Amino acid sequence: MSLLHLDKATIKFGGLIAVNEVSFEIKTGQLFGLIGPNGAGKTTCFNLITGVYKPTSGSIKFEGREISGTPPNKIAHLGIARTFQNIRLFGALSVLENVVVGGFLRHRTGLGSAIAYLPPAIKETEELKQDAMRLLEVVDLAHVANVRSRDLSYGMQRRLEIARAMATQPKLLLLDEPAAGMNPQEKMDLTGTVRRIRDEHDKTVLLIEHDMRFVMELCENIVVLDHGEEIAQGPPSEIRNDPKVIEAYLGEAV
Amino acid sequence: MKFFAVRAGSIALAVAACFALQSFAVGKGDLFFRLVFLAGLYVTLAVSLNLINGITGQFSIGHAAFYMVGAYGAGYMANNYAGSWGLKGPLLMLVLLLIGAVVAAVAGLVVGLPSLRLRGDYLAVVTLGFGEIIRIFVQNSPPLGGAYGLTVDAQFKFKYVWMVWLLAILCIAVCRNLLKSAHGLPFLAVREDEIASSAMGVNVTRVKVTAFVIGSAFAGAAGAMLANFDGFISPTSFPMELSFTILTMVVLGGTGSITGSALAGGVLFYIPEYLRDLKPVSGSSLVAAVIAVIAAVYVVKRIADHYHGDKGKRAALYLGTIIAGVALQMILAAVFKNVPSLANANFEASKLRMVIFSSTLIILMLLRPQGVFAHHEFSWSWVQRLFGKKVPTTAVSV
Ligand SMILES: Nc1ncnc2c1ncn2[C@@H]1O[C@H](COP(=O)(O)OP(=O)(O)OP(=O)(O)O)[C@@H](O)[C@H]1O
Ligand SMILES: [Mg+2]
Repeated sequence: MSLLHLDKATIKFGGLIAVNEVSFEIKTGQLFGLIGPNGAGKTTCFNLITGVYKPTSGSIKFEGREISGTPPNKIAHLGIARTFQNIRLFGALSVLENVVVGGFLRHRTGLGSAIAYLPPAIKETEELKQDAMRLLEVVDLAHVANVRSRDLSYGMQRRLEIARAMATQPKLLLLDEPAAGMNPQEKMDLTGTVRRIRDEHDKTVLLIEHDMRFVMELCENIVVLDHGEEIAQGPPSEIRNDPKVIEAYLGEAV
Repeated sequence: MKFFAVRAGSIALAVAACFALQSFAVGKGDLFFRLVFLAGLYVTLAVSLNLINGITGQFSIGHAAFYMVGAYGAGYMANNYAGSWGLKGPLLMLVLLLIGAVVAAVAGLVVGLPSLRLRGDYLAVVTLGFGEIIRIFVQNSPPLGGAYGLTVDAQFKFKYVWMVWLLAILCIAVCRNLLKSAHGLPFLAVREDEIASSAMGVNVTRVKVTAFVIGSAFAGAAGAMLANFDGFISPTSFPMELSFTILTMVVLGGTGSITGSALAGGVLFYIPEYLRDLKPVSGSSLVAAVIAVIAAVYVVKRIADHYHGDKGKRAALYLGTIIAGVALQMILAAVFKNVPSLANANFEASKLRMVIFSSTLIILMLLRPQGVFAHHEFSWSWVQRLFGKKVPTTAVSV
């Protein structure tokens, strides 16, 4: 079943067409890659899907329902969560608190109950913390749960971004360059983590990544963008040998 | 069951403490009584602004306007309608307080909704403008007494120090509880990063407006207390400087720290008030004070920069420096008394007042730019740790 469907999604910033009639379809359970050179429009695609921008034209459907123009917080409630290329953690909050913010969208108790600090709010807070703790174990950050997130290492911050997004219990998880700045060992571990997220936590994953080995190894299907245009689409074996892709990357080993 | 017993117990304790404060203050003369009252008001004002500026990260610089709206709302309602309600005493004051809170909350909603949807510092501009508009409006509104001020009917004058302190405690409790439960996290998250917050499903505008309205409501409640305590309010009681004073309290206490703004609110307003009634200072004690302050500031700065050991010991060193500073001032003053040219020169304290106040602020900002409490909060485990006890940090800190 098609989970996410972009149909000729386009966005212009003044004269610049950052994303030009991009269409692709992600099926439930897929591990999908979005690649392309710098400035190709990959992050802008994420911003369109998550409601940061409204497409100039074209449609974006999630579970068959038009979502373009829906504000980001509503998109999160519908079941799409993301990480950010330029890490955007809540720096002053602890690692655990960051994840609790992600889980908070499922809260049931009212603000009044929290302000009066009544048992329902206390209980819910405990539950949210326990859920968050379990997610921290998935990304191997449980041992630093009480550290201020600003003080984490770069690789840990990237993993925390994933845990925070997972906490919203999304159906579709968007990862924007999750391996950027990681060393080879960390990248290997991350490959395992992303696989587990898909296999054991039943998420559909769409990820942007510049590291070709990482993408080719992990993704079952890949879309390639260049200058806002979609230039290729298919499984890694096809993408690797596509002349247009090789040209776009100007001879970089693909 | 245990929960409710503890809760009822702590509420009873708070009420008892407030009444004890009232009967203590009553015996100490009118001036002192009013100071204790004002301290409660300022704690409320500072802590409620901290909810907006410190916890949610918005930049409101017109808090006095909501204080004013509450004061006039309650004063006007008292004069024109309260007579027919058949209420008396604390209950009537409580109703007036709620009126002040509601009026200010509505004003907060009207001001906050359009300006908080936008990113950036619109709120600062709009709140500042709102303060001026409200003042000019009142000045030109005969039913509100215009520039002469509004005299609240004598039967609605309530000297309830206990109630203002209960209000302050309630305001602190509301903020504290919010931060203790998961509901407080979206507020902090919005302060940290709006884009990430909305990607996590947080309705950013709603969170900001909620904080703004709650903060304004408490300021309005404080205003109602003031109107009915003094029995007279005028536009000059709410100058723009007042907004800046409250803002200073929040920044000085440590933006985001409830403990910090509560203490700064209680202490800071008192400095100019205290200096107002200061007797003329002799040259000898003034010179002694200047030397002592400079010495103490120097030592404190040295400790802060070079001593990175045990927190408890460092706190002890600070305390020691302050005590030594006071002692130094006394000793030097006694010594300088023997210098006739100093001992006979008198400085009028009222003239030095603002100089002393501003230098206090400058010294504090110099020593601790992050505010006295930075982002820390008072808690029992914190006190125990300060005194060297090893307390396991709870698995979860909110
Ligand atoms: N809000 C905006 N206003 C104007 N131009 C924008 C905006 N957002 C993105 N762009 C432009 O759109 C183009 C695509 O940017 P985008 O960030 O999507 O690239 P990317 O594929 O993610 O690149 P990278 O690999 O460097 O992250 C760039 O030229 C960028 O400058
Ligand atoms: Mg990008």
